[in-house]
Amino acid sequence: MSAVQTPAVVAGEVAVTGTRDRFVKFAIRYGFLIVMAALFLMFGLINPVFWRPANLFSILLASTIYGILALGVTFPLVIDGLDLSIGSVAALSVMISAYMTDVMELPGWLTIIVVLGLGALVGLVNGLLIVKVKIPDLLATLGMMFLVQGVQLIPSGGRSIGRGAVLEGGVTAQGAFAEYFLWLGQGRILGVVPVAVLIMFLVAVAVFVTLSLTRWGRVFYAIGSNSQAARLIGAKVDTYRLMAYIISGTIAALGGIVLAARVGRGDVSQGGTLLLDAVGSALIGFAVLGVRRPNPFGTIVGAVFIGMLLNGLSMLSMPYYVQDFVKGTVLVAALAFTFGLSKRRG
Amino acid sequence: MTDARAPLIEVRHIGKSFGATRALDDVSVRFQPGEILAMVGANGAGKSTLIKVICGYYNDYEGDILVEGQAMRFHTPKEAYDNGIATVHQIINQGVVQSMTVYENLTLAELLRPGQSAFYDKDALRQRARDVADAMDLHLDLDEIVEDLPQSERQMISIARALSSDPRLLILDEPTSSLSEKEAERLFETLDRLRGLGVSILYVSHRLHEISRIADRVVVIRDGKRAALLEKPFQVKEVVTAMVGELPKHGEIDRSSRALADAPPRVCLEQLVVEPDGPPIDLAIRSGEIVGLTGLIGAGKTELAQVLFGMSAAAGGTIKVNSRVVAPRTMNEAIAEGIFYVPEDRSNNSVIPLFNVRQNMTLPFLRVFDRAGLMDVKREQRRVRDMIRTMSIKCESGEAEIDSLSGGNQQKVVVARWLLEPYELVILDEPFQGVDIRSRHDIAEYLRGTIGDRCAIVIATDLDEVIEVADRIVVMNSGRIVGEQNSEQIDRDQLLHWIAQEGVSE
Repeated sequence: MSAVQTPAVVAGEVAVTGTRDRFVKFAIRYGFLIVMAALFLMFGLINPVFWRPANLFSILLASTIYGILALGVTFPLVIDGLDLSIGSVAALSVMISAYMTDVMELPGWLTIIVVLGLGALVGLVNGLLIVKVKIPDLLATLGMMFLVQGVQLIPSGGRSIGRGAVLEGGVTAQGAFAEYFLWLGQGRILGVVPVAVLIMFLVAVAVFVTLSLTRWGRVFYAIGSNSQAARLIGAKVDTYRLMAYIISGTIAALGGIVLAARVGRGDVSQGGTLLLDAVGSALIGFAVLGVRRPNPFGTIVGAVFIGMLLNGLSMLSMPYYVQDFVKGTVLVAALAFTFGLSKRRG
Repeated sequence: MTDARAPLIEVRHIGKSFGATRALDDVSVRFQPGEILAMVGANGAGKSTLIKVICGYYNDYEGDILVEGQAMRFHTPKEAYDNGIATVHQIINQGVVQSMTVYENLTLAELLRPGQSAFYDKDALRQRARDVADAMDLHLDLDEIVEDLPQSERQMISIARALSSDPRLLILDEPTSSLSEKEAERLFETLDRLRGLGVSILYVSHRLHEISRIADRVVVIRDGKRAALLEKPFQVKEVVTAMVGELPKHGEIDRSSRALADAPPRVCLEQLVVEPDGPPIDLAIRSGEIVGLTGLIGAGKTELAQVLFGMSAAAGGTIKVNSRVVAPRTMNEAIAEGIFYVPEDRSNNSVIPLFNVRQNMTLPFLRVFDRAGLMDVKREQRRVRDMIRTMSIKCESGEAEIDSLSGGNQQKVVVARWLLEPYELVILDEPFQGVDIRSRHDIAEYLRGTIGDRCAIVIATDLDEVIEVADRIVVMNSGRIVGEQNSEQIDRDQLLHWIAQEGVSE
């Protein structure tokens, strides 16, 4: 390379000496993972219980619901949008699942299909509002977030649903979740690996394959980076954007199903922090490996990181009420680290 | 303005490296008062770097900048500005605030000056703006919003503001790149007047005919070094030779157009109406022919291309490919018919900044690399490697970031994108905008070498650009085709007449 004649000068590039440049590159790429590994070691050294397999699985289990949602919201993020309605879609899914099984006494498989369909429908409405009505994504999905939150309360008249719950008009819920439905949230494979964690893992693989290995994934990223150029190569930009929201809504509904299966009832208070945890995980994912773009691997690492941090800190007797503060700090720090360092490079 | 200061600014032995790359090496230039010094060079030759050194953007350069004989070292653009170096950068709309009025734009610097009261005095600013405008002989409605002005006037505003500080040296970086020929002519008149006032001007451009029109001297930068410093009268040929080291082979053009003489027409536009109530267009493109479509901005070239590419519907008439009528209603239908379009304005319409060279290149034809639903990256890499080699794209590899390539090489990538698969008709819209001569030559050669019996349209406002690549020059004016010439027998004056004539619309 030393004999290259042409100085390929990039406009705006600021010279950084070789070693420093390499260090910065290394820090951007692996900084986050190193911090994560260091915390993992630290928590375990302070309290070895942290390292026990049971605890490690409970960390994973704790991060599954918002982890699944985060994988879904990766699609809108990739096309340079955002879906704020995922938390309420999950909450709606919990309530509808409970209502269909406990009150209407419908079979679990039908419940699953209907709930996934509902999630897709909300995603479709989001997408149409954004693509056809041309409402900015943040506003459209914020509006849908409130709307869906409201819908969630209607079937049960604002009450939580569980076996034996008395609803409006004196109807008593007689049904219950089927065993196989509950297995999705509570079961363990070989008595060790939680089924919910496996579901998250499968969703992650599917999202990874779609976004990184297929041509459709390539087009999703192209649209997010320069939608005008993507349109001019013949990409059906509107269809892709619509699909991104439908996928996000459907995966959010799946998250809701797993949550319903875990708690075994429909609680109106469910899903409160799901949205922020999910979006936070996906955004922390930007910092993982310094890719500065939404990516499924980073999203999963981000979700597990949040779970690990909260688990570790509560072992160190951190009070529960500082959780949000910790999560927010991590998010801001991760983003500042990735974007700040790379900006300085050029 | 009574500006007749002695040898104004001089740069001596300027060098600058980015890591292992030597961007500038031992470049010395003197800027004389009342002189227009043109700077030319391929993309990536080091012009922008030199400008940035002079205007204080970099502070870790080698060599000296002398202001009136005194060595100075600028650490910020503001220091350079305070020492009388004013720069108008390439992108016009970065030089003006579009939502503000003309007078606000002309007096932007005043607003930032320390010691101003928090509430600004509109009348005083307007008066100051009027003085600035008068000094430039600029007749504009000061209360007009800049958004509503044509590009040329926005450019004038940037220049007027730069001049309002009474600079010793005015640096113009490709000021005509988004101006029409008429608008450019206005700019040249202004520059002539400024030269008369004793201002020293550094004029950077790719357009050689502009340089022979206005420049007193030309400095040629090549591979980071001063390749030549030519005094008037200089020959365009000398300039080009200094830039690329060799002249493009012109012999090839004659040969291929002779072979075309009895080739059958392959793409035919019959009475094609681009816009409702617009004039009909007839054009037959023969097998293996490259048609150079030229005309002023607004002559209807891009609009025609957009109809062919299915971006807008034709208002009448037919398009025939191989004697078969095609009527693309969407871009995908056009692509399916083998009609491809490389749009103008690379950075907005073509480049995906997130993607590397390979991903940028294969984007329209991902399905070709699809294997059971997954991308066959190995095959994609091989294909891209071949293309990089045959088009002589200068980059580390297909995995290099697209931003790491010079403008000309980025252009090669987005052109290559549409040449990956066989086309019937490929349309290149202003493919040479902001592209150095060598890249332009590479693109033209590649197109000629691979066209076979298919058809191409190259749209360019710049005559030199179309003449270099096309077999036949077709001139559009006010939406209609007003004349054509074979490239063996170019009559430049006739072409210019067709391009510039008014009242064509019946």
